Amino acid sequence: MRRLETSKLAIYLLLFAFTLTVLVPLLNLLALSFTAPGKAHLMSGLDLIPKGFSTINYELLFSNPLITGGILNSVWITIAGTALNLALTSMAAYVLARNEFVGKKAVLFFLIVIMVFEPGMIPEYLLVKDLGLMNTLTSLILYKAVNVYYLFILMRFFQDIPEEILEAARIDGAGHFRMYSRIMMPLSKPGLATLGLFYGVYHWNEYFRATLYISEPSKWPLQVVLRQFVVRKDNTSLIGSQNLFDSSIPFDFASLQAGTIIIAIVPLLVLYPFILKYYAKGALEGGVKD
Amino acid sequence: MKAMKRLRQDWVLYAMLALPLLYFFIFHLIPLYGMKLAFQDYRILGDHVWVGWKHFETLFSSPAFASVLQNTIIISLMKIVFVFPIPIVLSLFINEVRSSRYRKYVQSVLYLPHFLSWVVIAGIWISLLNPATGGVNQLASFFQLPSIDYMTSKEHIRWVLVFSEIWRSAGWDSIIYLAAIMKISPGLYEAAKIDGATRLQQMRFITLPHLYSTVVTVFILNLGFFMNAGFDQVFNFMNASVISVVDILDTYVYRIGIGNGQFAYATAASLFKGVIGIVLILGTHFVSKRVSGKGVW
Repeated sequence: MRRLETSKLAIYLLLFAFTLTVLVPLLNLLALSFTAPGKAHLMSGLDLIPKGFSTINYELLFSNPLITGGILNSVWITIAGTALNLALTSMAAYVLARNEFVGKKAVLFFLIVIMVFEPGMIPEYLLVKDLGLMNTLTSLILYKAVNVYYLFILMRFFQDIPEEILEAARIDGAGHFRMYSRIMMPLSKPGLATLGLFYGVYHWNEYFRATLYISEPSKWPLQVVLRQFVVRKDNTSLIGSQNLFDSSIPFDFASLQAGTIIIAIVPLLVLYPFILKYYAKGALEGGVKD
Repeated sequence: MKAMKRLRQDWVLYAMLALPLLYFFIFHLIPLYGMKLAFQDYRILGDHVWVGWKHFETLFSSPAFASVLQNTIIISLMKIVFVFPIPIVLSLFINEVRSSRYRKYVQSVLYLPHFLSWVVIAGIWISLLNPATGGVNQLASFFQLPSIDYMTSKEHIRWVLVFSEIWRSAGWDSIIYLAAIMKISPGLYEAAKIDGATRLQQMRFITLPHLYSTVVTVFILNLGFFMNAGFDQVFNFMNASVISVVDILDTYVYRIGIGNGQFAYATAASLFKGVIGIVLILGTHFVSKRVSGKGVW
């Protein structure tokens, strides 16, 4: 009995230690971002409480056009992108869930081929160039308009809706589009919420295509600004645009970098309860591995 | 005639499918066809010139490519050996937690990093591994250990990739094993308890055997992505000091293609990777179907 309790305690402690490896770095960055100017060098990576509280870092960040522009660009590609994703994915899923649809097998085969044969980075880059979409946020919205995995998940969801409900509507004279918009969509809210979160998180975290397609800093999504500032440690493009060196406000790069990371995480934290509720469930049902 | 009637009735279905199919045509098929650039020389004006296997010959005789291929394989292998088992162990541990509140806390925290972009994670880890102030070196100095600049150390950077991969995905990837554990009949544990089996014995003789098929499935699905070696991660963790040991196929394609503008040569490298990837994915799909009845799609 005694031994059993020790091993259980060991497991509890190990799991707790693992959660600390996630929580401590995040809380440390949060604390660092609220640390008063000139005191950042006093902060150790294990400190969870700011040294001298100040919101100056966020005031600086939110007065920087690259950051505010980045947030707006990210919000736009997330909202517009997800809306387009859901519209196209749900229409295709509706059609493919109809057994009477002639050509269903051919389309499904085509989609699997699409999934297996991924085009490479260079032809995609040249295509976006040829389409005249370089330096547009539209390129980021369009290039991933439908994800085949997600389409299959929604298709399965639609297939689970009892045929009798649609049959009744059909007898009342409803056409396919009406059945899709008035019956399938309202009945599939949990499925659509799951997919919306899949797509939304994807768009919010998008950075690579943006580094490929967008060279104008004013059109960068937040993740690219973050990458420039925190990962590539390019302080001048961010600070230079603000002429902070001339200002009398003291500031700390480490705190500003921490603040930028926090800003990029906050929207995910706000949605996190919904993500836990829908995303995890959807990922299991669809067998998605991403 | 019947087919014609069907078609007339179902034109709406075709209309609804038109935009998604157009998307796949433009953004998948056209660039897929564009992979033929691997056998051409790129011209800004006029038609590209066919050059056969020229770029592949250059590629296979280039020492840079050999080292990139080697890095890709080493990093992927390290991840299979050191990252893959962690979520399995983690799911066994989480399953031992009886308090539902503690369990919820552990799961909510450990799933979180999966939703962060690799840019954010790189930012967090750069700060965490800072030689002076970073948490890891602070902890090391507490135990009188020397401070190490992990991000710029050729010796350590691949391990940084392994640990940051565990940090990001171990929690999330344990879900699939937890789901498999949930499906095990409680009767089995009851019977084992009556026979006097300890919890450790229950784990060893009931839980683990029931996880076997899930483990095999996830393992072969992972093999399908072997050549990727985690591009987004490497792209953000890479820096000039360590490029020689972490440069993988995709980062190489990016650098010579987008960076140097050698479009055709880069496409050849990317096609090489793509073909191996397709063989692996098709291979794993059919093996997985045979083993567990569950394919890649």
